[in-house]
Amino acid sequence: MAITERQERSPSRIWGIGVRQIVFMALGAALYAGVSYATNSLQLPGASNVSLRPGIVIPVFFGAVFGPWVGLFTGGVGNLINDLLTGPIYWNWDLGNGIIGFVSGLALFITWGRYRSVRNIITAEIFGVVAIIVGLGFAAYSDIWVSALTPLTATTTEFVPATIPDLVLSIILLPILLVAYSAAIGRTGRA
Amino acid sequence: MLINFVYIKRDTPVHRLDPRVKWILLFAYAFSVMQTVNFWFTLFGFIGAAFYYSQAHLKWSETKRPWLFILFLTAILVFVNYFMSGGAIVQGVDLSHQHILYMLPFFGVTAKPPFITTTSIIFSVESITFLLTQAMRNISIAMLALPVTYTTDPGLTGVAFNGMGVPDKLSYAIDLSLRFLPSIVRDFGTTLDAQRARGFEIEKMRGGFFGKVVRLAPLLVPVIIGSIVGAEDIINAMELRCFGLGKRSWLTELHARQIDRIIITLSITLFICVTFLDIIGSIHTQGALHFLHTQGIPLTK
Repeated sequence: MAITERQERSPSRIWGIGVRQIVFMALGAALYAGVSYATNSLQLPGASNVSLRPGIVIPVFFGAVFGPWVGLFTGGVGNLINDLLTGPIYWNWDLGNGIIGFVSGLALFITWGRYRSVRNIITAEIFGVVAIIVGLGFAAYSDIWVSALTPLTATTTEFVPATIPDLVLSIILLPILLVAYSAAIGRTGRA
Repeated sequence: MLINFVYIKRDTPVHRLDPRVKWILLFAYAFSVMQTVNFWFTLFGFIGAAFYYSQAHLKWSETKRPWLFILFLTAILVFVNYFMSGGAIVQGVDLSHQHILYMLPFFGVTAKPPFITTTSIIFSVESITFLLTQAMRNISIAMLALPVTYTTDPGLTGVAFNGMGVPDKLSYAIDLSLRFLPSIVRDFGTTLDAQRARGFEIEKMRGGFFGKVVRLAPLLVPVIIGSIVGAEDIINAMELRCFGLGKRSWLTELHARQIDRIIITLSITLFICVTFLDIIGSIHTQGALHFLHTQGIPLTK
């Protein structure tokens, strides 16, 4: 069925949940959990005692490409599944990861899921940076109530150590993924 | 590369509970205990959580890894929190008449340069009580969280969330993500082996932090993009089978027993009562209704 440009750029494309969104939600969550699990077991070497968590780019990418609901599910359920694989559940960190994906997905209002131009890639990057700060900020500072931390402890032991490596990972890996995705989709004819 | 959920199939009272009960109990307790610093309330919750955990009959050898992580994390958070705040960590409690036991010379953080100054850390009855309360809170929540993963079949996660009101489509997405997981991990292993055959050594990545991040791309990009392209077939198959047009049925149906309904009712009642008392206690700053906002230590001023 042909889709007009007006339909393609309608709010339903951003907020609608159809079969495509359901499948990409599930795929994104599985990728986030699987890559986190696999890279944990590989014990990636970090620099200056900072561990690498490359999977953080997945909720950012899925949000930027498929929308805020897909990003929310990818981050939240993906992190929850990772908790199911490792043991303890930290619900506020699951929700924080979901917020990362959701805020990244708001880039769709500007880019409409098309990342063939540098401008759109930079837009996705900016939303990704904001998303990681907001999402991990929620996760870390909610521990003030969940774990009775002081704001200073939440900042120094949780927010800063988690956010800085994740920002670097997202800033470097997201454009690579977006360019690869655009090329792959162009070949399938769904561009 | 194999992937295994931590679920252990066994017949225990906690295993027999409906999965919805375990999730509701966890969230109701966590949101309740978050609202108070009262030592006795937290101790009561700790004892209850310990009894619940004991009914799961999980062995130390099976749960050693997550427990070591939880205990380490709790210790770090509790003690770092204490030292970074100079002993003044008690939340929502009047500290103007602390019963000081000892003062330890230490460093403190200030807002003015050089931002670090010498100060004293106070060890008082109130602050030590709060340390214990904080530790009990974190460990009791962990004692309710671990049985959710160790005693619940992951295949029941989707139907459990559907039973708690999550829409059919989202519940199915949870189920589908668990089915995707082994395929993803297998593809990751295959890609890693293929890249290793081409000289990619993930254990010996050169370069600084930024260089290592860039060198992860040959591992991540094929897995992610390959999965997305492969998902198009699944989307087509689901659309051809009219997915989402009617109400969904599930292969496994959950049936709550009397004990499940009792536990759910008690959990929700606990949360509502604690929230109500928390709000009322904020208004009435004296008397019995204020007890959730006090530590409950019977000391004279």
